[in-house]
Amino acid sequence: MNSVRLWYKKSGLAIYTSHLDMNRCFTRAVRMAGIPLWYTEGFNPHPYLNFLLPLPLGTGAEKDPIDIRITEDISFDEIKSRLNAVLPGGIEIVAVTEPAIKVSEVAKAGYEIILEFLTPEEACAFAAGALAVIESGELNAEKRSKRGIKTVNLCSFVSSFDASSEGGRVKIKAVISAGPAENLNAALLADSLLKEFGASAEKTEITRTEIFTADGKIFI
Amino acid sequence: MYPEKLEKFLLKVQKPGRYTGGELNSVIKDKREVDIRYAFCFPDTYEIGMSHLGMKILYALVNAREDAWCERVFAPDTDMEAVMRENDIPLYALESGEAIKDFDIIGFTLQYELCYTNVLNMLDLAGIPVRSENRESLTPLIIAGGTCVCNPEPMADFFDITLPGDGEEVTNELIDLLKEFKKQGKGKKEFLEAAAQIPGVYVPSLYKVEYNDDCTVKSVTPTCGAPEKVVKRNVKNLDTMFAPETFVVPFIETVFDRTTVEIFRGCIRGCRFCQAGFLSRPLREKSPETVFSQCKAICDSTGYDEISLCSLSTSDYKGLEKLLGTLIPWGDDNKINVALPSLRIDNFPKDLMEKLNTVRRSGLTFAPEAGTQRLRDVINKNVYEKDILSTCAQAFAGGWTAVKLYFMIGLPTETNEDIEGIARLAQAVVDEFYHMENKPKGKGVSVSVSLASLVPKPFTPFQWEPQDKPDVLTEKQDFLVSCVRTRKVNISRHVPWTSFLEGVFARGDRRLCSVIETAWRSGCRMDSWEEHLDREKWNAAFEQCGIDPFFYTARARSFDEVLPWDHMDYGVTKKFLQRENEKAHRGETTQSCREKCSGCGAARLNGGECNELCAAVV
Ligand code: SF4
Repeated sequence: MNSVRLWYKKSGLAIYTSHLDMNRCFTRAVRMAGIPLWYTEGFNPHPYLNFLLPLPLGTGAEKDPIDIRITEDISFDEIKSRLNAVLPGGIEIVAVTEPAIKVSEVAKAGYEIILEFLTPEEACAFAAGALAVIESGELNAEKRSKRGIKTVNLCSFVSSFDASSEGGRVKIKAVISAGPAENLNAALLADSLLKEFGASAEKTEITRTEIFTADGKIFI
Repeated sequence: MYPEKLEKFLLKVQKPGRYTGGELNSVIKDKREVDIRYAFCFPDTYEIGMSHLGMKILYALVNAREDAWCERVFAPDTDMEAVMRENDIPLYALESGEAIKDFDIIGFTLQYELCYTNVLNMLDLAGIPVRSENRESLTPLIIAGGTCVCNPEPMADFFDITLPGDGEEVTNELIDLLKEFKKQGKGKKEFLEAAAQIPGVYVPSLYKVEYNDDCTVKSVTPTCGAPEKVVKRNVKNLDTMFAPETFVVPFIETVFDRTTVEIFRGCIRGCRFCQAGFLSRPLREKSPETVFSQCKAICDSTGYDEISLCSLSTSDYKGLEKLLGTLIPWGDDNKINVALPSLRIDNFPKDLMEKLNTVRRSGLTFAPEAGTQRLRDVINKNVYEKDILSTCAQAFAGGWTAVKLYFMIGLPTETNEDIEGIARLAQAVVDEFYHMENKPKGKGVSVSVSLASLVPKPFTPFQWEPQDKPDVLTEKQDFLVSCVRTRKVNISRHVPWTSFLEGVFARGDRRLCSVIETAWRSGCRMDSWEEHLDREKWNAAFEQCGIDPFFYTARARSFDEVLPWDHMDYGVTKKFLQRENEKAHRGETTQSCREKCSGCGAARLNGGECNELCAAVV
């Protein structure tokens, strides 16, 4: 049995697919691709397929990891090309690797958030305002967790933040907490910033660009 | 694809994956290279529509033609409808994202009467007048098929054409004709008159309906050369019939997340309340070889890990043993589950049951339908209490602890004793568990009783029967609940008002068209969802149109009354149905077709042949 890490890109129509649905979609794709998945044992065996950092509905990803276990040797190139032949549009395998870092070490993730406004002035003001708010170290929002809804300071989840505008578009690059221990949904950050200024974006696009460990190493 | 304008709203609606398209295996064509664009409309939500086999068949069938492109359309949920109306986004097809009002054919499938308002709503969202008479140009042609078109009259003013029976052949014939007429630049009236000459095509506007003073139908007269009787289409050979080798695989979870392969059409049983059983006669089977190769092809192209074999009564399939002999080992090797819905327990071989268990333990369900043997004889449901109990005993011994029982109330000749019988039977199943010698420690049994209400349907022996009014049904439900003495039995009941409305349309006539339109205009839609069903609006619509809905449900009809659907011919004769009705009232059962042909009349659709008759002769 070999552990394999699949890296997929999620964009376009596929961003409207929820995490649960992604799971089913990949299970089917792996079957169709004839990749011999290892099945869990027990009463109701199911294929082992683990999305390391579930993506919320509406958020895309440049390169997100899924761990699988296979029972036969197949080359990484073969896995990649067979899967890409059967995955629906918007979901693509960009790399297949051996898992190098344990999932428990995931601590942060980088996001690109694009917000489109009606006017360049609005965009420019929002970018400056957003920077100032994060700088101030206080942005309170209601955050849902397993223990219910709580008001928290989102700034304590932010490791780095940059916002710039070009025409009516604001581009935010942010590294925020991610992983099983502490996780912030990038959409919540974007919405809270908009709310802070009573602004609304015509269009919001969020993409996870990379994943980091606690000491800032890129997760591989 | 979806229209660009929609993008910024998609994350604001529930389950946006319903509206995006782009699923695996969806068919994209170059619109400049096709002659006919076909919008297949399912008048309910995406999750329900995508689970429907008929849609998958038609989609593949039309797309197999080079000259046509079939796309899918579903009813948007109310939140999405609001977004579309507020932002002037017309109803679009999921493949191209283009508005369907410019398509050539808009075809609905009618599976359930409570979806009728959704049809009007979808046409309106598309920007198309709902009434046939207000649509002057040849295209888009609005057509419908599916079970409910056996009585198309309540929707007669809206559809240009309905297609009773199997759609596989007639759809192609209709597309060919439309292509021809489009090319010649001919008009809608000419086209409809020509289409009416194709067997199995019903053009409601070519029939004149007259009524008696008591509001019953006096006569239905064809005009412009349309046939007196529209005979449903019947595909003779299921092995050579078109069957899809691939399905669109949804991103989001649907009602049935699996592949479905049909094994036969028709039914040998003749349960007297069951419309599907009579509408789909005569019995026609696919060979096990065909079924197996279709199962393989579909699993390969979709990646699904569950196959459901589909028919009205799986265990009556003659090739079942042979099929499972190849299907189950193949499923084991490929980690594919085989599900057999509609199993009857009375004739299911025990060793087959065991074979299946190794693949999947699905719940144990029985459909006795009525609580006493007397009433089961009335409805011709030949299931016996002792068989149910012995199968349960077997299953309990094998570790099962949950049983589901399906019953119906409101059956002809029903008394309190019959209703009590439901509680008694459920109790007997519970007792069977506790009488078991080595019952598992610490485990209890649970028996769930699902309680539906009879809706008398056209083309069944009960088509003349009065239907219980909602308050009577509620009383009967309450009475049953009061008869249950244990918490091991849990009863879930259908909403009587839903059955009532279903009953009105099932046996309705053309005068209901205006009621449906009025109700829809006042805001009724998604009536099959209890949270949306608005009784006050419906009552107001009946009143406004001067129509007493109980005329259609609560009234006993006489055998010589002209029924609104008498000009449809589904093979089974009115005489046969009358005979069955009379036998029901005498409490006599009818043998299954496998034992003895009872001369239902359907064989005539197959050139005098019926699978079952042949078998009897050999
Ligand atoms: S013709 Fe006879 S055998 Fe065939 S479906 Fe009708 S009753 Fe059954």
